[in-house]
Amino acid sequence: MKQETPGATQAEHKEKARPLPQELIARFAAAIGEGYTFCKPEQLRTYESDGLASFRVTPGVVVLPSTTEEVVACVKIARQAGLPIVARGSGTGLSGGALPLPGCVLIGLSRMRKILEVDYDNAFMRVQPGVINLDVSKHIGPKGWYYAPDPSSQSVCSIGGNVAENSGGAHCLKYGFTVNHVLGLRMVLQDGRVVDLGGPVPDQPGYDLTGVVVGSEGLLGIVTEVVLRILRKPEATRTFFATFPSTTEAGNAVSAIIASGIVPAAIEMMDTLAIVAAKAATGVDWPEVGAALLMDVDGLAAECEHTSGNAIELARKAGALEIRVPRDAAERELMWKGRKSAFAAVGRIARNYLVQDGVIPRSQIARVLQEITALGQRYGLRVANVFHAGDGNLHPLVLFDGRDPDEERRAEEMSAEILRTCLRYGGSITGEHGVGADKAPFMAEMFTPQDLETMQLVRCAFDPTQGFNPGKVFPTPRLCGDKPGPYTPHPTELSGEAWRG
Amino acid sequence: MARLTPASIEEAQALLAEGGRSVLFVGGGTAMPPGPATDVEISTSRLNRIVEYAPADQVVVVESGVTLAQLQGELTKNGQRLAIDPPQPEKATIGGIVAANSFGPLRTRYGPVRDLIIGVSVVRADGTRAKGGGKVVKTVAGFDLPKLMCGSYGTLAFIATATFRVHPLPEQTLSLRARGADPVELVRRIRAQQLEPAAMLALGEGGRWDVYFRFEGFGAGVRAQREKLRELEECDWPAPASGAVRIRFAALPTQAAEVAKALAPLRARIEWLPTLGAGWGSCDAVDPVALQGARRALMALGGWLVVPGDWGPPPASALEVNRSVKQQFDPANVLAPGRFIV
Repeated sequence: MKQETPGATQAEHKEKARPLPQELIARFAAAIGEGYTFCKPEQLRTYESDGLASFRVTPGVVVLPSTTEEVVACVKIARQAGLPIVARGSGTGLSGGALPLPGCVLIGLSRMRKILEVDYDNAFMRVQPGVINLDVSKHIGPKGWYYAPDPSSQSVCSIGGNVAENSGGAHCLKYGFTVNHVLGLRMVLQDGRVVDLGGPVPDQPGYDLTGVVVGSEGLLGIVTEVVLRILRKPEATRTFFATFPSTTEAGNAVSAIIASGIVPAAIEMMDTLAIVAAKAATGVDWPEVGAALLMDVDGLAAECEHTSGNAIELARKAGALEIRVPRDAAERELMWKGRKSAFAAVGRIARNYLVQDGVIPRSQIARVLQEITALGQRYGLRVANVFHAGDGNLHPLVLFDGRDPDEERRAEEMSAEILRTCLRYGGSITGEHGVGADKAPFMAEMFTPQDLETMQLVRCAFDPTQGFNPGKVFPTPRLCGDKPGPYTPHPTELSGEAWRG
Repeated sequence: MARLTPASIEEAQALLAEGGRSVLFVGGGTAMPPGPATDVEISTSRLNRIVEYAPADQVVVVESGVTLAQLQGELTKNGQRLAIDPPQPEKATIGGIVAANSFGPLRTRYGPVRDLIIGVSVVRADGTRAKGGGKVVKTVAGFDLPKLMCGSYGTLAFIATATFRVHPLPEQTLSLRARGADPVELVRRIRAQQLEPAAMLALGEGGRWDVYFRFEGFGAGVRAQREKLRELEECDWPAPASGAVRIRFAALPTQAAEVAKALAPLRARIEWLPTLGAGWGSCDAVDPVALQGARRALMALGGWLVVPGDWGPPPASALEVNRSVKQQFDPANVLAPGRFIV
């Protein structure tokens, strides 16, 4: 995915559609209120893109419902008009999952931000999808509880968006991803039916549809309530920061720590360029070395002492230059701020950059990073690496100057080559950012046509009209076997400005 | 009924591709719900290879007929394990464990098998072979077919191989017991004290609970937790129940007392994971009237109860979607017909 630094100009992938008929807009306005139905060009512009800012498409109408019933009403109106529906949370996604389709109905869930229920004894919380990730932990923090998934964007991203993308974060190495922390969902299907999947009582008889809907990137329906598992905070957290001559030694340290039986809460790696960027952005006083690791262990205090001591020893043996242990919570927080702001920080050292999100087997980190360096040389581009080393989830940032079309083209080619390298090592094209619009073409490189067809059986089961987020995830649509009812194409579709499938 | 034992996934694929007959997939037979006979049974007994094991990456790929004990034996050689402990590991196969979503007390810390499976390859009813997930511990590319297979009871596709994240074996293990205790109070207490048991199990008989804790990990952490529960006695971990009938049920963790009361007429030995609310009961025979009474009582609490062959009333809200999924994967309804809620 492509990032622009402020002020940069760049060719945009922009598509336009004719405005929707006033009569249709009026129906939405009648259902959810005029003040929450937007169709003026300047209003629609806000919703043209998500975190994948270089892709822009104008939706036909933006609606901001506030209840499940209002979502149902919007879905029904859209379906009757034959318009595709794109759901959107906070719009921080990095793969274009919330990128509109020309003339689509964009359903924003940002007004649905109520915390509906907190049950500490049964360790769950029920929230609406617009609730911000960090606000969940803030809400229960005073009682000593938290919500584990912590994407770097957690101060702005929404739970609904996390559910759509199966978001991860630095601490999912030990605690798992969104899917491991969602117990149940309420969702609106294409025909306006509302279904409850799972819930706080485990293992309801039936298929694990909650597990399939999480990470389905808005293709199966619109989630309007989420039951989250919440955790008691661990007794202790120990953090250390270690510097290394190069990513090779740092990669070896990660392997040695994991092989010793330690399950770190998080173990993050940064290379020189990422360190330089983080310093410029946050003022951390890190030395400009070849690589650095930032590691958390958490749990019982006694165990943390033991494991962090061992991990530091293993890091030294692997060739660490320096080990820093934060003196207090404030210093620890600054270290993590340095790491979490690294993407944005790269904007300080380059005009534009592409963020990649590939996964490789952890033991291959050093080799793959060398291959990425070689690719950088071949394409004449700089690459910053800042990533979740514990689970092999790489985030190479390919730096370029968007004013130079050739450099931009090379950056895109190189970024694609990085993904292919990950696949060659038996990895994945995305560890946490999702496929969305950005990586749909790469799905066919990771999966066979049969794999993709099988996945789309699930889509057909939930949404035979394929009206939810069409064109995302799957490079080619599949014809669903059964016919859900009469379908009338919308004028914009007939004129080729909107599409289905 | 013919039982077929393909020697390879390709052979299994060819058998399914023949089509035109109903099929039951058979593993170790430890969790098979009863149901109508099928034209053929396909056994995974010869699909028992560990396909790939990368200890440094903590990832293992196995064929579905591998027994849990066989897999653990391999992993132990590298100081690792698959962090699940369903009953009868010598017989239970990986395919069966995934299909039946089988679990044991380790679910307390590590979650059900769906939290450890990272990839799957399947053969669909028409012989189409497909995969989902991957071989790395983290991937969000495509729909999560591995999770869809968990608890699907062989009704969606034949599970050919499964890929798991594995964990290091603990350095130390210690079990403690609280006799005649209130599970709800003990759960509150371990949370207040920030203890992290790998397993917590309440055994109920006659309305009274004995609660077991298992602490695992490095010695320092295990000892520290033992100190904080000083008054509890050390013990052996209880052997799993071995009654002929295995009842499964769930409710909210705080409903332990109501659950004990609801299940009392079954005269079963009750095992309950008090942090999660999932449990099972074991007895030699079950009285149908007592069973329906227990089910009604649990459903009134918002819970559920199933015995082999009797799923009870399906979850009303999601039933249609469940049926649509089945219809898409197995339009001719040839995979384990009549053995699941759909």
